[in-house]
Amino acid sequence: MSEELDIGLGVLDHQLLDSDGRRCGNVDDLAIEGEPSEEAEVVAILSGPGVWRERAGLLGRIAAWIGGGRRVRIPWNEVAGIESHVRLKKKASHYGLGRGDERARPWIAWFPGSDR
Amino acid sequence: MKIFQVALGILAAIGGFVDIGDLVFNSAAGATFGYQLLWVVVIGVIGIIVYSEMCGRIAAISKKAVFDAVRERVGFTAGLITLIAAQVVNLMTLAAEVGGVAICLRLLSGLPYRWLILLAIFALGVVVWVTSFEWIERIFGYGGLCLLVFAVAAIKLEPDWGDVAHGLVPHLETKDTLLYFYFAVGLLGAAMTPYEVYFYSSGGVEEEWTEKDIGLNRANAIIGYGLGGFLSFALMIVGGALFLPQGIEPETLGSIALGAQIPLGETGLVLALVGILLAVGGASIDTLFAGAYNFAQFFGWEWGRYRSAAGAPRFTLGWMVLLVLALGIVITGVDPVQLTEYAVIFSVVALPLTYLPILLVANDRAYMGSYVNGRLANVLGGVYLVVIVVISLTAIPLMILTNVGQG
Repeated sequence: MSEELDIGLGVLDHQLLDSDGRRCGNVDDLAIEGEPSEEAEVVAILSGPGVWRERAGLLGRIAAWIGGGRRVRIPWNEVAGIESHVRLKKKASHYGLGRGDERARPWIAWFPGSDR
Repeated sequence: MKIFQVALGILAAIGGFVDIGDLVFNSAAGATFGYQLLWVVVIGVIGIIVYSEMCGRIAAISKKAVFDAVRERVGFTAGLITLIAAQVVNLMTLAAEVGGVAICLRLLSGLPYRWLILLAIFALGVVVWVTSFEWIERIFGYGGLCLLVFAVAAIKLEPDWGDVAHGLVPHLETKDTLLYFYFAVGLLGAAMTPYEVYFYSSGGVEEEWTEKDIGLNRANAIIGYGLGGFLSFALMIVGGALFLPQGIEPETLGSIALGAQIPLGETGLVLALVGILLAVGGASIDTLFAGAYNFAQFFGWEWGRYRSAAGAPRFTLGWMVLLVLALGIVITGVDPVQLTEYAVIFSVVALPLTYLPILLVANDRAYMGSYVNGRLANVLGGVYLVVIVVISLTAIPLMILTNVGQG
C-alpha cells in the first residue's frame, strides 16, 4: 500500500476488517513519520480505546477509561486494501484486535441458542 | 425488482412508521388544534423519505450504516458527542415504548402495570433472541396495520373535509402561537426520529443490499413512509373531529384508543389496542437494535442480527444492557406518554449531527460513484437540513415556554 490518499477522509475513523471479513475495530489514529522537509509517510494504524484519550479531551479520556485503555499498533504494510473499509492481511487475533468480543463471548454463550 | 419483496417491505414500513411518539403527538395535536397542523405531517414524512432513501442508497453502495458515516465524516469528538446524545434519546424512547407495551397489555388484560412491564421486557428479549428479522418485521409490521382502524374511525366521524384539506396548507388560527410551534416541532421530531434511519440503514447493510436494490429502497421509503404518514393523518383527524369538540385531552394511550372505540365500538377498541401494542412493540425492537447498532458501528465492533448472538457478542451484550436500562427507567413508574414527549423533543436536538453526515456521504463520489445525490435529493436534503437546524435550536426553549405542551 503505497499510493497517495487523503488520509483524513480515506482512512481515519474507518472500519477495520480482518482477513475473514470480521469487523475488528476502527482506524482510531495513524502513526506518521517524516522530517519537516520530507514527504510524510504513514507507518502504522493505531486502534483501541488507548488512542481515544488523545483525540477527544476529557470525553475521550472517560471513554478510554471505560474501554480499558488498550492500544494496538498495526504496521501499514499489513493493510491488504482500502475500499469503503480498511482490510487487513491477517486475522484480528494476530494483531490483538477484537479482544472485547472474545471477553464478551462466554457471557453470551451462557444463553441457550446463542450460536444459532 | 421483486414485487412481492417490495410489498412486504412497504407493509412493514407502514406498520413500523407509527410509534408511541407519533401516536402521542398526532392525537394531541388534533385534540388541541384540530386539523391545522396536518401540513407539518406532510413536511415530516417527506423529510424522513428523503433521508431514509439516502441512507438506504449509502448502505447499498458503500455498505455503511449511519454511525459509520457519522464517525468518518464528523470525526471522533463530534461523533462521540452525537453518539451520547443519540443513545440517551434512544434509551428514553425505548423506555417509553416498553411502557407503552405494558399499558396496552394492562388495558387488554387488567393485570397490574408493573408486572406487565416485566412481562413486556421478558417477551421482547425472547422475541429478539429467537425470532428472525423477517418474522419480527412480519409480526409487528403487519400487526401494526390494525392501526388502520383509526383511518376507518376518521371517515366514520365525518369530519369537514374542507377543513381537513385546509389543514394541508400552512396557516395559523390560534392565539397560542408558542404551543402551535411546540406541536409543529414535536410532529416533525416524531416523523423524523433518528432511530428510524439508524435502523433502516443498518437493516440495508444486514440484508446486503447492492445497487440492484436501489429501486427497492426507493419504493420502500416513498410508499412505506408515505402510507405511514397516512396513519398519522388519521390519528390527527380523529383528534380534531372527536377529542377537540368534546374537550378530551388524549393524555394516555387508553384515551388515544377511545378515538376508535367511540365511532366503532368494542371491535374498534380492540383493534386499536392490538395495533398500538404491535406498533409500539415493533418500535421497541427497532429502538433496541438501533442503540446496539450505534455502539457497534461507532466503536468498530462486529454487529448484526444475521450473525449468531455469540458471533457478534458485544452487539448482543449492547442490546441486552439497553433492555435492562429501559426496564430500570420504566419500572420507576414514570409516565410513558410524558417520557415520549421529552424523548421526541430531545431527539430533535440531536437531529442535525445525525442527518448532516448522511448528506455529506451521499454526495461523496469516492463512496457513491455514480449513485451520488442528484439535484432533487440535494435541494431537498439541504432544505431539510436547514429546517432541522432551526427546529433543533427552538425545541428546548419551546418545551420550557409551553411547559411541555401544557400551555
